[in-house]
Amino acid sequence: MSTTTTPAPARSAGLRALLSRTGGERRGHTTVVDRIALGTAGLMVLLALAGPYLAPLDPYAVNLPAALTPPGAEHWLGTDANGRDILSRILAGGRTTLLATVAVIAAATVIGTVIGTAAALGGRIVDEVLMRICDVGLSLPAIVVALGLAAAMGPSLQSAVIALAATWWPGYARLVRTLVREVRDAEFVESARVLGVSRTRLVLRHVLPNSLSALYVQTTLDVSAVMLVISGLSFVGVGAQVPASEWGAMIAASRDTAVTAWWTVLFPGLAIAITAIAFNLVGDWLRVRTDPTLRTGGRR
Amino acid sequence: MNTAGEPPILEARNLVKTFPGQAGTRAVDDVSFTVGRGEALGLVGESGSGKSTTARCVAGLVRPDSGRVLIGGQDVTRARGRALRATRRRVQMVFQDPYSSLNPRMTVAELVGEGLYVHGIEPDRARRRDRTVQILETVGLGAEHLDRYPRSFSGGQRQRIAIARALAVGPDLLICDEPVASLDVSVQAQVLDLFCDLREKLGLALLFIAHDLAVVHHLCGRVAVMNSGRVVELGGREQVYTAPEHPYTRALLDAVPVPDPAAERARAGALRPVPAHHDPEETR
Amino acid sequence: MSAHPTQGSPLLDIRGLTVSYPTPQGPAQVVRGVDLAVAPGERVALVGESGSGKSVTARSVLRLDPDARTGGRILLEGEDVLEMTPREVRRVRGARAGLVFQDPLASLNPVKTVGWQITQPLRIRGVGRREARRRAVDLLGRLGVADPDRRFDDHPHQFSGGMRQRVVIAIAVIAEPRLLIADEPTTALDVRVQAQVLELMEDLARERGMAVLLITHDLGIVAGFARRVAVMRHGLIVEEADVDRLYASPSHPYTRSLLDAVPRIGDAPGRRLGAPVPATTEGEAL
Repeated sequence: MSTTTTPAPARSAGLRALLSRTGGERRGHTTVVDRIALGTAGLMVLLALAGPYLAPLDPYAVNLPAALTPPGAEHWLGTDANGRDILSRILAGGRTTLLATVAVIAAATVIGTVIGTAAALGGRIVDEVLMRICDVGLSLPAIVVALGLAAAMGPSLQSAVIALAATWWPGYARLVRTLVREVRDAEFVESARVLGVSRTRLVLRHVLPNSLSALYVQTTLDVSAVMLVISGLSFVGVGAQVPASEWGAMIAASRDTAVTAWWTVLFPGLAIAITAIAFNLVGDWLRVRTDPTLRTGGRR
Repeated sequence: MNTAGEPPILEARNLVKTFPGQAGTRAVDDVSFTVGRGEALGLVGESGSGKSTTARCVAGLVRPDSGRVLIGGQDVTRARGRALRATRRRVQMVFQDPYSSLNPRMTVAELVGEGLYVHGIEPDRARRRDRTVQILETVGLGAEHLDRYPRSFSGGQRQRIAIARALAVGPDLLICDEPVASLDVSVQAQVLDLFCDLREKLGLALLFIAHDLAVVHHLCGRVAVMNSGRVVELGGREQVYTAPEHPYTRALLDAVPVPDPAAERARAGALRPVPAHHDPEETR
Repeated sequence: MSAHPTQGSPLLDIRGLTVSYPTPQGPAQVVRGVDLAVAPGERVALVGESGSGKSVTARSVLRLDPDARTGGRILLEGEDVLEMTPREVRRVRGARAGLVFQDPLASLNPVKTVGWQITQPLRIRGVGRREARRRAVDLLGRLGVADPDRRFDDHPHQFSGGMRQRVVIAIAVIAEPRLLIADEPTTALDVRVQAQVLELMEDLARERGMAVLLITHDLGIVAGFARRVAVMRHGLIVEEADVDRLYASPSHPYTRSLLDAVPRIGDAPGRRLGAPVPATTEGEAL
C-alpha cells in the first residue's frame, strides 16, 4: 500500500533538528525547544509593541558622568559612551528593528505574491517578462541598493527598508510562481472551473490558500535574515542614524568601546542573535507543521 | 424521455484534440456522440484511449482543436461570458480522485454551497445552508457534516461530497471521469448505487467514463468504446456486450475477469494461444 | 484456521502474525493474528480492501517495513523469518521468495538498464556475467518480451506499463525462488494487459513448481488464478476456503457482501450492489 513514489523529503528539518535531541524524528510535534522559541519570538513581538514603555530609563538621556558604567544594580546592562542606559535602549530599539523588519517582509510578500501569481497564471509572455524582471532584482545586492538610495535620499531607516524590500520581493515572486503552478492544475481547481467559478474567486479562494503556506513559512524564516541585514545596514551607517536606538546602530556606535567596555556591544548583539534564532526556529517549526511530506501522517 | 424535436442535452461533434509534443497522434480523433435527457452513456477504453480527454473537452477544461460541443443545442465551444456560464452550469463533472478534487481548505458547507453562491442561486447565507443540507441528504450525508473539512472523510464519503457539489447547481448531465476507480469494492458499490438512485430521482443524464466494463454495463444504457482517440463502437448495452461488432470491443470483453472460478478456468485455456509477445499497449 | 489439507510441510507458514506500527497516538495494530499456509507450488490469494492488512501481511514475510513491530511466526521453509538477522533476511529476498509490487515504474531503477536489474539477483549470488545475461534473456523471452536480446540493454522508461511489469516479474523470479509474493501486480494495468500478466505468472508458476501468494482487492482476478482464497478484514482472516467453495457458497457475510458488491456483465443492470455496511468500515479506509 505504501508503494507510492513519494520521494524522501530533500530538505532537512534544519536548525531545529540540530537543537532537538530527537534529531527531528518526532516530526510535527512541538518540542521543548519549539516552546522556548515560540515564547521568545512572542516576547520579542511584545517588546516591539511595549518596549519603550517598559524602559526603566530614558533611552536618549545623555549622562556623561555615568558613561561606560559596567552592568550593575543601577544599570543592569551598563551604559554606553554617552552614559545612556543600554537595557532601555535595547527595549526601545526592539521596536525600531522589528517594525523595520516587518515592513520589509510585508512589502516583499505582497509584491512577490502579486507578481508570482500573475507570472504563474498569466500565460507565457507575461511569465517571461515578469521572471526577467525578477532576475534583475535578484542580481542586485541589498547593500548596493541601500547605498545608492542613501546617496539619493539621504541615509535613513526608511531608505534602508525601501532598499531591502526592493531586493527581497523577487525571491518571493519566484517562490509564489512555483507554488501556484503546482496547484493550478490540481483537480480541485479544475472542479471549480467546471462549476463556473470566476477567475478572481478561483485565484483567491482555491489557488492561493493552497499554495501560500510554504510562503508564510519562508517569511518567518526570513525575519531573522532581514533583521540581520537591517542591523548590518545600520551598522555601516546607511540605516538608522545616531542617536536612534536601533540594535545594529547601537553596535555601530559602540565600535570604539567594544574592547574596553564589552557590554556596549555584547547586549545589543545578543538581542539580535536571540531574536534571529527564535524566529528561525519558529519558521522551522511552522514548516514541519505545514509540510505534509515532512510529517509522519497516517499511512494509507 | 427523449421527446422528438428537443435537442439532446449534450452533443459532441467531430471533436479533435492534439497535445503539443505529440504531433501526429491525436489524443481525440473525430469523436461524435450525443447524450439525451435522462440517458446514461458509458465511455470505455484503456488508458491512453482518449476517453478522459474527450470528457475534459466536453466539460470545457480542454479546448478542442476542432469540432463542437453543444449543450442543449447551444454551441459552447465558441460562446463566452455570462451566456456560456449559464449553459455550462447544466453540465457538471465528478473527478476520479476524491482526495484531490476537493479543496482541502474549504468546509463541506462551502464546497457544496459554492455553486449556489457563484451562480446566484441562493445568495442568502442562511437559506444557502438549508439548501446545502438538502443536497447533502440526497447523497446520503447530513447537516452534521457541514462544518467539517474533506480530510476528515473517507474516500467514499468524499466522493459523495464531490457529487453533492456538482449536483448543487442543478445540472441536467453529470460527467463522471472514473468516479469509482480509486474506491474499495464495497465503497464503490455504494457509490454506484447512489448514481442509480440519482438517475431515478432526478432524471439525471450521465456521461460515465470508465475502464471497467462491468461498471459501465451496470450503469449505462448506451456504450461508446474508444481506442487510440477514436470511437470504434457505439451502441446499446445489449448489442455492445452480447454482439460486439468491432474486434477491439471483443478483445476488451474477453479480458474482463469474471468472479466465477469455473468460467475463468474454461476461458484461460481459450485465451492462451494469443501470441505472448503481443503487447496491446504498444499499439499506441 | 490454517488447518487446510496440504500434503507435507507448507512452504510458507504464517502463525499468529501480529503487526503494529508506532504512531503518535500509540501503536496502531494493523494485523491482529493471521494464520496462513502456502504449500509448495500452490497459488493462494489474500483478498481484502484497503486497510485490511493484506499488504502488511505480505510485506512482513520479507520484513520490508523497518517500522513494523511484529509478533507470531513466519516460517519460510521451516525457518522463522522474524527471527533472522537482517543479513539472513536479505539472502531470503529474491532467492527463496520473490516480490512483485503494484507499480512497476516505482520498483525499477530508472538509470539502470533492465538487463542490469534483472541479472542483479544472480550476480549477487556469484553467477558469471555471461551466464546471467543468457538466463535473463531467456526469461525475458519466456515472459513474452519481443527481441529480448536487444531489449536487455534498454532502460525502464522505454517499456510500456505491461512490459515493465514483466521486467519486475523477471527480477523477482530470476533466482528461481520457490515462493512469489505478488502485491496487487495488475492494479495499474489495463484489462487486456492484466489478463496477459496473470496468465504469464500462472504459467511460470506451473513450469517451475513455484508457489504464489497473490495479494489483491479484486475478486475477479482471483477466481481464475488461485486455488485457495483467504479473505482479510480489519487485520484478521475472516474466511479461508477453496476457490470454488468460496465463490459458490461464501460462509462469512463479509465475503458475501464483497462478492455482491462487484457488478458483473450478465447481471441485471442497476441491481443493488451495496449491502448496508456499517459506517465504521468506511472510516477504516482513512
